[in-house]
Amino acid sequence: MSAPTTPAAPVPSGSSGPPVPSGASITPVFVRLKLSLLRNGLRQSGGRRAAYLASLVVVLLFAALQLIGLIALRGYAHVDSLVVLLAAVLALGWAVMPLFFPGGDETLDPTRLVMLPLRPGPLVRALLTSSLVGIGPLFTLCMFAGSVVAVAHGGAAYAVGVVGAVLALLVCVTLARAIAAANVRLLTSRKGRDLAVLSGLVVAVGAQLVNFGAQRLGSSGLGELDPVADVVRWVPPASAVGAMDAASDGSYGVALAQLALTAAALGLLLRVWARHLTRLMTTPDGSTLQNDTEAVRERGPAGAARWLPAGRTGTTMERTLRYVWRDPKTKAAWVTSLAIGLIVPVFNAWQGTGSVYFACFAAGMLGIQMYNQFGQDTSAFWMVAMTISSTRDAYVELRARALALLLITLPYATLVTVLTTAMLDDWRKLPEALGLSFALLGAMLATGAWTSARFPYSIPQEGYKNVAPGQVGLAWVSIFGGMIGAALLCAPVIALTIWLNVSAGAADLGWVLLPVGAVYGAALTLLGLRLAAPRTADRLPEILTAVSKG
Amino acid sequence: MVSASAVRVRGLWKRFGQQVAVGGIDLELPAGKFIGLVGPNGAGKTTTLSMVTGLLRPDQGSVEVVGHDVWRDPVEVKARIGVLPEGLRLFERLSGRELLGYTGRLRGLPGEEVDKRATQLLDVLDLAGAQHKLVVDYSTGMRKKIGLAAALLHNPEVLFLDEPFEGVDPVSAQTIRGVLERYTASGATVVFSSHVMELVESLCDWVAVMAAGRIRATGTLAEVRGEAASLQEAFLELVGAGVRDAGSDLDWLGGGSR
Repeated sequence: MSAPTTPAAPVPSGSSGPPVPSGASITPVFVRLKLSLLRNGLRQSGGRRAAYLASLVVVLLFAALQLIGLIALRGYAHVDSLVVLLAAVLALGWAVMPLFFPGGDETLDPTRLVMLPLRPGPLVRALLTSSLVGIGPLFTLCMFAGSVVAVAHGGAAYAVGVVGAVLALLVCVTLARAIAAANVRLLTSRKGRDLAVLSGLVVAVGAQLVNFGAQRLGSSGLGELDPVADVVRWVPPASAVGAMDAASDGSYGVALAQLALTAAALGLLLRVWARHLTRLMTTPDGSTLQNDTEAVRERGPAGAARWLPAGRTGTTMERTLRYVWRDPKTKAAWVTSLAIGLIVPVFNAWQGTGSVYFACFAAGMLGIQMYNQFGQDTSAFWMVAMTISSTRDAYVELRARALALLLITLPYATLVTVLTTAMLDDWRKLPEALGLSFALLGAMLATGAWTSARFPYSIPQEGYKNVAPGQVGLAWVSIFGGMIGAALLCAPVIALTIWLNVSAGAADLGWVLLPVGAVYGAALTLLGLRLAAPRTADRLPEILTAVSKG
Repeated sequence: MVSASAVRVRGLWKRFGQQVAVGGIDLELPAGKFIGLVGPNGAGKTTTLSMVTGLLRPDQGSVEVVGHDVWRDPVEVKARIGVLPEGLRLFERLSGRELLGYTGRLRGLPGEEVDKRATQLLDVLDLAGAQHKLVVDYSTGMRKKIGLAAALLHNPEVLFLDEPFEGVDPVSAQTIRGVLERYTASGATVVFSSHVMELVESLCDWVAVMAAGRIRATGTLAEVRGEAASLQEAFLELVGAGVRDAGSDLDWLGGGSR
């Protein structure tokens, strides 16, 4: 990072006095402000500096690698489709980045400048210029430069390429800024922070999808991209990359049209951005206007809750299910489990490499949600602790939580198993796979209940960490110890499955595993709850202390 | 039904590592009074209240609430006390009304009764307009009020409040005060901790002064105040923080030469 020697955080318009600063004078000020913010951010702590430098090195390495890769791909068939789609994916990344990582860039929040006498025109110019400073724009520029080298043939194509690369970069940056400005209220509110917690999940699930997509491409070639790319090359900013390709082919009219389209998009985005900026700077912010942004949530006592049993069981189930939906951490954990539990068996089956038994993955992933039940409550666990005065209370509480989980996991695990079986067309094995799934689910609930009582740990509510500092060992013991325990508990059912499959005369008895697995799983769950209840009732203060560190 | 003392504490100790948070306190709090547990920050008020309410296990000592041992007889005790702790969360992803419904039903009250009481409490505490908002979006004052409502829902005999007025605006504070005064007038006991002496002086009829993990004085307001002009002065004397003569140290401050 280049660091010019300027005083930190300069005041706009170096000269004192009332005149409103012009665009020319505030642009360098904003660039310096951005650099100062970057530098001061690094100064805050050694860890943050290390993290920043590490990410810088990784990003630069990645940028260099893809630049080399794109240069190496020059002249290959379908490379034009690849670069067009890469540009589109990158633009998508720019669009969602501010929504998921609002804390990254303080200059993203223009309401901080609201006290300064700034006109929208110069402000947009200054903000746009300062937005071009940073790792993200550098990476983007590297990629567009690579795209030019990969597809451009001839002087005209290079000329179009340079203009196109600059336009595309500006569109990306402006897109991010316009979306951020339009959503500033959201980004600075509680809902925005909730959304940020879910972002890790988008990355995790997205990575799985990209992984499988890449595998498919690897097996069937880049030609698969062509039809999609033919549409995307007319969507800005990918249209700028499309223009480079068109100019290489000699279709200058198309190239010009695509460049013009990109420029028009840039103009439009700038206008949208300026309008939102003006509105933001001239209306009071959320802190002065109370109660206007949060919609009133009307939740009647009726609804599906009517079907839940009365007493502690129904009450706890209702609360648990509400938290699955409303608590961002819980929701992120659930969606990850649901998505990965579906993706692994189904995609493997789709690729023809799967087995029906992979469907047990769903049960295993979902069973994890039973772990650290009280940690999920955070220190609000005291409200539960105040109402547990006997082993019976603790048993009913834990059982209700297990039932709430089963309400989702049982149909879901069944669905995934049936789906996997259908894709593999191996219906004979369905009862076995279902039986194994149920047994595993039961074992996970049992070990989950027990470790919840024995090894509780805090889940910090802010940020991406799922374990409070100092409790990582505890979390590992809880989750991995519990999972190994669950696998061991399932051993009898697994052994029975293997025996039925290898012994010659027992091949038709596979269906037995369904009732056996279901009953065994249910028995394990009940046993686990029975063992966990007295531990919970005896250790209420200790559990509360353990889960209150977040 | 109500025994003479609401809370009886004997030889209560709690250490966190090397630090002694509560150093062997004996305390007897009379029933039917508005009791203030006062002391500077770090005196051990929260630790004491946590141990008395069963949320923290003491290293040593016994606690009885309305004649029942907190650790040996939790069934009897938990049904009879209401708690509003400081520094612990609520189930904030529930709306105010949902939180009350949840708490009341966990406490074993019938559903219709919970809903009836919740409506009245929300009304009295001026939360009716925000009852369908998530507690996570509540202000500090609203959180204290919904916490108080949750603590009162099952009509406890003894109510423990840890810093109930901390960070609360004057309007909400007055509302809380009104509810608490009405509650004690009916014969119930309120034990609350605070470091704001004026508040304690105006609210309480019985005071326990705590400092550095020990009880320094107990008794009626008049007894603890003694000769001093105000509780504040008596308190400063008790905890050994008399008014220092700061005149010579900061003689440059204000007026005169710059």
